[in-house]
Amino acid sequence: MAERIPAEQSAEISENDIADSDFAEIVRRHQSAVFSIALRFLADRSAAEELAQDVFLQLHANLSTLKSEDHMKFWLRKVTAHRCIDYKRRRKPLQVSLDEAPEPAAPVHSSDPLLERKLQQLVASLPEKPRLVVILRYQEDMHPEDIADVLAMPLATVKSHLQRSLAMLREKVTRAMGEVTI
Amino acid sequence: MTRMNMDKDDSRMDDALRNALRRQEAPDGFADRVLARVAQQNLAPNPVRHDSWLRFFTQPIVRWAALAAVAGAMILGVHVYQVRRERAEGEAAKQRLMLALRIAGTKLQLAKSKVNEMNANQTTNRHVKE
Repeated sequence: MAERIPAEQSAEISENDIADSDFAEIVRRHQSAVFSIALRFLADRSAAEELAQDVFLQLHANLSTLKSEDHMKFWLRKVTAHRCIDYKRRRKPLQVSLDEAPEPAAPVHSSDPLLERKLQQLVASLPEKPRLVVILRYQEDMHPEDIADVLAMPLATVKSHLQRSLAMLREKVTRAMGEVTI
Repeated sequence: MTRMNMDKDDSRMDDALRNALRRQEAPDGFADRVLARVAQQNLAPNPVRHDSWLRFFTQPIVRWAALAAVAGAMILGVHVYQVRRERAEGEAAKQRLMLALRIAGTKLQLAKSKVNEMNANQTTNRHVKE
């Protein structure tokens, strides 16, 4: 798959800049995003950490090919997304049903923790591709065009996954928690 | 449901999802563990060197070039084989021709000596009669 750099890319940094920068600092800057995508997708903290570490090892081997900070961000999201799908296909081919979906691994702090836990559980029960689309849209705040680039998917498919997933999530969360919540 | 209500619902759903899917902090010591694995990988014997020449062939242009080289070598080999075979056949034909010429020469020599012998006999007989 060809690596397309999103149009939003701005701060250009040279190959030498990346090579000379402290890799530990790069890891610290992006670890939360990579780990969170893996965690939301796999719903397993240790598996998510293992996968995130693999992503950064791959990044270390490919540092010289990344042309800018935005390119690196794009690359990390793309590699994480693809590794998540590969991981799931290798480990567990069956789709997780809502009842089987694990509880969120870490506690969340919000105005409605019950709703958030329910939503996390529902997102974890989505099929692989729609789940990734929802995670990239709402966790990483990515535009559908960029999600289409990262997942090498037509834009119409991304939008369709988003619409269907939102409709399903709304219906299920309303049924589970009542009209007042959403 | 009115359009305004639907938009409001979408917005609430978006907010709820953004809250639910907030980024999580990576576990403590995550970066250190990554760096340790990088260091471990750098210390481990590098298998890249072993298969680096094989990796060279993963590039499409190199694969095509290698295929073209193999095809060229095969065509050249067939051509050389044909030239050698034709040369050997020519040599054999030449040998057969030389042999045939030698046989023909011998036969001619034999016929000539017979004719000479007959002429000599005729001359002798004529002298005897005279």
